Amino acid sequence: MICNKIQYLNAPKRMLAAALLAGTILGGGGIASSAAAQEKVVIAVSPLGADSNLYWTTTGAFILPSMQTLVGNDPATGKYDSSGLAESWEHNEDFTSWTFRLHPEAMFNDDWGPVTSADVVHSFNMHTGEDAKLSGIKLLKTATITAVDDHTVRFDLPSPVPNFLFSHAGRGSLVIYSKAQFDAEGIEGYQNAPAGSGPFKYEGREVGQSISFSSIEDHWTGVAPEFDEIEFRWVSEPSTRFAMLSAGEAHAVTLPRDLQDDASDAGQTVLTSSEGAMQTTMLFTGQFMKPEAEETRDARTYAWADQRVREAANRALDRDAILEVLYGEGVRALPVYTMDPRFPGYSADLSDRFESDYGYDPEKAKALLAEAGYPDKFDNAKIPLVVTSLAGNPEFAQMAELVQAYFDVVGIQTEMREQDWATGNTAIRGFTADFITPMRNAPVRPSALGVQIFFTTHASPHLDVGDPEVNDLGGKLVDETDPATRNAILSQMFTRIFDTYAHLPMATVPASVVVNSDLVDGWDFPGATSSGLSHFHLIDLK
Amino acid sequence: MFRYLALRIASSLFALLVITIIVFLLSHLSGNPVDALLPDDASQEQVDSFIREWGLDKPLWQQYLTFLVNAVQGDFGTSLKWPGEDAMGFVIDRMPATLQLGGLAILISVVIALPLGVAAAVYKGSPVDNGAQMFALLGQSMPNFWLGIILIWVFSVWLGWLPTSGTGSFAHAILPAIAIAWFQVSALARLTRSAMLEVLDAEYIKLARVKGVSEFQVVWKHALRNAAVVPLTYFGILAASILTGSVVIETVYSWPGMGWVAIEAIRGRDFPVVQAVIVAYAVIYMISNLVVDLLYVIVDPRVRHG
Repeated sequence: MICNKIQYLNAPKRMLAAALLAGTILGGGGIASSAAAQEKVVIAVSPLGADSNLYWTTTGAFILPSMQTLVGNDPATGKYDSSGLAESWEHNEDFTSWTFRLHPEAMFNDDWGPVTSADVVHSFNMHTGEDAKLSGIKLLKTATITAVDDHTVRFDLPSPVPNFLFSHAGRGSLVIYSKAQFDAEGIEGYQNAPAGSGPFKYEGREVGQSISFSSIEDHWTGVAPEFDEIEFRWVSEPSTRFAMLSAGEAHAVTLPRDLQDDASDAGQTVLTSSEGAMQTTMLFTGQFMKPEAEETRDARTYAWADQRVREAANRALDRDAILEVLYGEGVRALPVYTMDPRFPGYSADLSDRFESDYGYDPEKAKALLAEAGYPDKFDNAKIPLVVTSLAGNPEFAQMAELVQAYFDVVGIQTEMREQDWATGNTAIRGFTADFITPMRNAPVRPSALGVQIFFTTHASPHLDVGDPEVNDLGGKLVDETDPATRNAILSQMFTRIFDTYAHLPMATVPASVVVNSDLVDGWDFPGATSSGLSHFHLIDLK
Repeated sequence: MFRYLALRIASSLFALLVITIIVFLLSHLSGNPVDALLPDDASQEQVDSFIREWGLDKPLWQQYLTFLVNAVQGDFGTSLKWPGEDAMGFVIDRMPATLQLGGLAILISVVIALPLGVAAAVYKGSPVDNGAQMFALLGQSMPNFWLGIILIWVFSVWLGWLPTSGTGSFAHAILPAIAIAWFQVSALARLTRSAMLEVLDAEYIKLARVKGVSEFQVVWKHALRNAAVVPLTYFGILAASILTGSVVIETVYSWPGMGWVAIEAIRGRDFPVVQAVIVAYAVIYMISNLVVDLLYVIVDPRVRHG
C-alpha cells in the first residue's frame, strides 16, 4: 500500500519523501537520544568550573544527585530538614559543638552497606585535605570530628558557629562518601563511580560532556522519582541549550534572561525556585571607608569615598526598571546585600525605609553631587564600572551597562572596564581594586556569614569596606552566642551599611530553569544550592 | 632537497619554541588561576596551598623553564578544571573527535568545492558561475558560529532531522561539519575556478579540443589535472585551518574535541590544558606546513632540483 502511494507521488514529492527518509535515518542518533522518552530526563546546563567525582576538589557548584549531605532543605521553604542523612541534630549552648544523629536506615547504593559515623568521619577527612577547594571548607578545617557511636557524630569548633547547618545542607561543604568503598577500591573507586546514598545511582560520566544517573527503586528515604534515568549535559552555548529544549532533546535547561523570554514566547515554561537563590549587588571596592586609607593608599581619591556620592549613585538608579530588564518575574527588592528575612538580623525597618532612602530620585542625586563638589573637587571623578561575566550570572554585563546609563543621567562620570571575573578577584584580593563591580551571594548565605564576607575583615578580608564601626560589630558577632544579641548586632551592622550607602544593593533573585512544556508539568526546588537546582526527584513529568 | 627540508624543520621547531614562550606569558598575564579556581571565600591557607601546589610562587622564568623541560617530555602537568587528568593526555584524547569532525569537513569541502569551482570556470559568466560565486560569497561572509546556530534551528528544531549537539552517531557530526566546511568550500571553489580559467585558456587545451577529445575529458582529465596544483597546495593549509578552526563550532555543538577543550580550559584558567592544546595546535600547523612544503618538492621540479 505504501509502495503504491509512493508510485503516485510526483517528482518533487518523491524528492521530499526521500529527503525526509534520509533525515529520519541520519537523525536516528538524535531521535534515539531525544528527551521525548519519558524514562530518561535530560537537563542541559553550563559546564562546571571543575568537573570531578571528587566533590572536595571542586568549588562545590554541583552536588551529584547520587550523593547526600547531612542536612536537607525543604523544597517549598528552603528550611533545613531531615531529608538528608541526619534525622536530627543539636548544639551546645555556645554553638561550639554540634551533634548529628544519622538515619539508622540510611544505606549506600551499590551494596556498600549502611551509612555510619565512620563514613562521615572518613568523608570529613577527605574534604579537609590539602587538595580541597570547596567553598566554605575553611570552617570545617577548624573543626574536629568525633564518632560518638555508629550513628552519632559530633563536630567541635574553636569558636561559636550558629550557622553550622548551612555547611551541611544545600550549600554542601561536606558530602558523605562510603568508607567501605574507599577501603575496597581506593580513591579510584570514587573517581570512577562514587557510591552515594541519594535516590539516584551514579551510572557514568563523559568527561566534560555529561553525567548520568539511574533512579533507585525502594530507596531508603521512600523517595521515588517518576523516571528511570536522569542525565545532565554540559552545554556551553545558551542558544544550543535553547535548541535542545525546543527540539525535545532536553526536559529542562538553564538560560540567560533574554533567552528565557524567547523560550516563554515559544510556549516553554520558566520555573523559579520557591525561595530566593541569590542576592545581587554592585559593590564599591577599595576599603573606601577606612579612616587611615588616606595615609596608606589613595582610597580617598575614589569618588565613592564620599558618602554623598554613594548616596547619589544609589538615588540615580531606577531599580524597578533595571530589575525588570535583568530578572523579570520573582525578583525581590534588596535593602541590604546579605540581609534576608530567613536569617537573623533582618530589619523590617530598613525594608520600609528603602524606598524613601534609596528610591529613584535623579534630582536629589544631582543635588548631592553638587553639594559634594563632584566632579571638580575629585582627583578621580570617573568611576570604573566592571563589565564581567560569571557562570550562572550572565546578566552582570548588562547590569553594569544599565547602571552606567542611569549614572550618566545625573552626571556621574564612568568608564566601562571589561575584565573577566578572575582578574577582578585578583585585584580585590590584592587590595588594588578601584572599581565598582557586580557581585552575587549564591546560594543566599546566612546573614551572619554573608555580612562578614562582603563587608568586614572577619571572614574574607579581601571584601572589607574598611569601616571601623562595621568591623567592630563584626568582631563582637564572632564571639557572641546569645541569639537575641546576635540578632541585634547583625541588625546594627545592616543599619550601618544601609545608612552609609556602602554599596548599591540590587535584588534577591530566585533560581530559574526553563522546562519543555510538553514534557514537564512542574518541579519544586528551593534554590538552596550553589547552582540553584536540586530536588531532581521532584521533577514532575507529563 | 634534504637541506631544504632540514631548514624547514628547524624553522618550524624554532617557531614552536617562540609559541611556547608566547603561550606561557599570555596565559600568565591574563589573570591569576587562584581567583578562577578557588571560591570567593577561600581562606589564605587554601590560597597558599594552591600556590605551592602549582608552583605559582616561583619566578616566572623559572616556571617557564620548568614548563619547557616538562613539555619536551610530554608532561604539561595535570588539569585544574578536570582534576586528575593529564593535560596533554586529555587534549590527545580529544584529538580523534576533532579529526573525525575535521575529516568530514574536509571531505565536504573537497567534494563540493572542486566540482563547483570547475563548473564555475567552464560556465564562466553563466548563472552557474554566478550561483557558485554567490555560494562562495555567502560562505566567506557568514560567521561560522552564527551559521552553526542557524543550522541547528533549521535542521534540528524545525525539521527535526538531526540532533542539535553532542556526539554518539554520524548524524551528530553532519551539522558541525557543514558549519566548518562552508567557509573552506568557498575558498577552495574560488581557487579552483581561477586555476581552471587559466588552464582552460592554455594552448594544450585548445589542441586537445582540436584533436577531438571529448569536452568531459578535456575538462576533468587534462584541465583539472593541471589546475589542481593550486588547490592541492592550499589543501594543507585548509586541513590545518579546519582542524584548528573548529574551536567555536565545537563549542556551539558541544562536540568534545580539541577546540571545545581549548575554550573550556581558557574559561576555567586551566593553564596546563591551555598550554597543551595550543602547543598541539601549533604542532598540527607545523606538520601541515611541512606536508605542503613536501608537496611543493614533489610537484615543482625547481624546488626539487634547486
